[in-house]
Amino acid sequence: MATAPEHLEIERLTKVYERGQVVALKDLSFGVKKGEFLVVIGLSGSGKSTLLRCINRLIEPTSGSIRLDGVEVTRLPAARMRRARRGMGMVFQHFNLVKRSTVMTNVLTGRLGYTPTWRSMAGWFSKSDREMAMRNLERVGLVEKAYVRADELSGGQQQRVGIARALMQQPQLLLVDEPVSALDPATSNSIMQYFEQVNREDGVTVLTSLHFLSLARRFGTRILALKDGEAVFDGLPTQIDNVRFKEIYGEDAEEVEVR
Amino acid sequence: MPIDARTAGSTVLAGLARPAVRGLLKRRVLSFFLDWAIWGYVAFAVMYFLNHYWYTWIPGHWYDTLTLPAWGWPVTVLATLELAIVCRNSGWSLGMRAFGLRLVPMHGDRITLPRRVARVVLWHASVPLAFMGFWFSPEHPWHDRFAGVALRPTRRLRGAGAGLDDLPDDEGRPEKRVLLTQWGWMSLFLLVLTFWLGWLITEANLSALASRASKAGDLFRQIARPDFRYFLHEDPIFVLRRGTYSILDLMVLTLYMTLLSTVLGTAVAFPLSFLGARNIMGFNAVGLLIYTLVRGFFNVFRAIETLLWATVFAVWVGWGSPFAGILALTIHTVAALGKLFSEQVEGIDAGPVEAARASGASFLQVIRYAVIPQVMPAFWAFTLYRWDINVRMSTVIALVGAGGVGTLLFYYKNEGQWSIVGAVVIAIIAVVWIMDYLSGWLRERIIR
Repeated sequence: MATAPEHLEIERLTKVYERGQVVALKDLSFGVKKGEFLVVIGLSGSGKSTLLRCINRLIEPTSGSIRLDGVEVTRLPAARMRRARRGMGMVFQHFNLVKRSTVMTNVLTGRLGYTPTWRSMAGWFSKSDREMAMRNLERVGLVEKAYVRADELSGGQQQRVGIARALMQQPQLLLVDEPVSALDPATSNSIMQYFEQVNREDGVTVLTSLHFLSLARRFGTRILALKDGEAVFDGLPTQIDNVRFKEIYGEDAEEVEVR
Repeated sequence: MPIDARTAGSTVLAGLARPAVRGLLKRRVLSFFLDWAIWGYVAFAVMYFLNHYWYTWIPGHWYDTLTLPAWGWPVTVLATLELAIVCRNSGWSLGMRAFGLRLVPMHGDRITLPRRVARVVLWHASVPLAFMGFWFSPEHPWHDRFAGVALRPTRRLRGAGAGLDDLPDDEGRPEKRVLLTQWGWMSLFLLVLTFWLGWLITEANLSALASRASKAGDLFRQIARPDFRYFLHEDPIFVLRRGTYSILDLMVLTLYMTLLSTVLGTAVAFPLSFLGARNIMGFNAVGLLIYTLVRGFFNVFRAIETLLWATVFAVWVGWGSPFAGILALTIHTVAALGKLFSEQVEGIDAGPVEAARASGASFLQVIRYAVIPQVMPAFWAFTLYRWDINVRMSTVIALVGAGGVGTLLFYYKNEGQWSIVGAVVIAIIAVVWIMDYLSGWLRERIIR
């Protein structure tokens, strides 16, 4: 039986930061199937964020290939890269909202890739875009905050705005960079549930980095562990036992439970 | 003597192939010359003091005998060199600190006095001999090795990957109080020296301030009795470009002049400021070129004072024409605001920019949705402040014929009619005061 084609295929991906010759990713290869919930774990500095940002080329990879549905992303010219980015939503550790703008404006920012430049300069978004923004805000439970400034929201609410913004892109793939490490445990769980929902209901492939193994175990359908830019584990969440854990996080690590 | 096997055998060519060694040598040379230059500066100061006090304090019959003998120059050069070397061995010198270098012991936890003395002596034996020590091991020159010390990048630089990691650095050693370190008291010494020297060079004279106070007193007394006779009515004798004006006429004209130049200047500076921000443009060669050009433009045009621009434009469009003032103020506004705006853009939170790019936004869209909302409050504040500056500046540029209320100021000053000058000054103060209040109020309203 033929295996399903990979949605995202990464081959020998390497990123070297020029200053100081730091190697963030070393010859990393893996594939992600449509509808997977892949969690990338690893210590700080293991290359998780770099990996996510290489995929949508916010960071330019040094070498290697990234194919999204068979299209080589690393060689796309600027204009086509912008179009490719529309299909890849991104959610950030520090939410990355414009704090002085309203929640609505922030959510609509996710639609910029679909809006002609001249129209967005004047701040005109089509009616359907605005309706879509409202629907997405409804989905994350923030409709009544639509016209509130982003900095008036709590951390968890800001991250929900971030999710709504990413959903505006109608993404096939959601790149999520440490979505809960700036949040408290209870909020973390509810935020992760939104990703689970998007993954299950809309069939969006989710690629997320996480600090806590307990969250990774609970939400991931597959786990990829990075250490110094190399994959040290790739498999099911249940396969990570104490020995594997020490391999990934080092001898002195203790597992912390987050519920 | 235990020496790291990797570094002990390397010759200068092998060493120079390693960027870390190249960096170390560069820092070493630069810090050395900085230390030398510092003592050169001290020598200059000493010569200046000798000269100055010789002719002010020394009795007359010794007069005319202060000359530097022919051997003075070589002695100065050598003495400063020696002082620099002693400094570099007796503690953490200012030059070494400035270039992030530190002497570390090769064994033991501190460098003893005999070793420091040995290094001074060994330096004289090895360095002047065509840099022999460096030639055989650039990161462990002879005078270091045989004194049992090494010059290594400090912890801060090591973190950036600039270092050689063959020796433990100064980690764990408690930081000394700043004034107990050599670079600390050296900095203080240089500061005091510079102030003292500056005081003599600029001929600051406190006694003149006291002895000539009565002359200024007359002037102040007249200004303090302002004469408002021409505030509303035109002065028939004062003619500017075939017209007669009252103070109020020219005040209103000045306000419009500054308003126009501020609006025009901001309109040009606003788009330029994004091109002059490194975080927006610094991603490829073309962007960097534009960035450099725009920043260069800001710097050049800002360096040329408004007064000079006003002179040029007064000749160009006519003496006393407010249009000359508008042009001069506009150019300076563009350059000054452009620089301030650019720096504001460079200080933004990169997060929203990243988010907008990730959603497929174009360059202009990123600026419109991720940059502008972040910088708008500061832009407003700077613009209002600039208007304030322009009002004050407009009074001065009238001196060279750029029109406005300042024309009256200088006209009556030249006529010696100090009480009318007083009236003009009061009018200007009133306007500046009101503007300050208004702009503060506006800032609070617009900028949240």
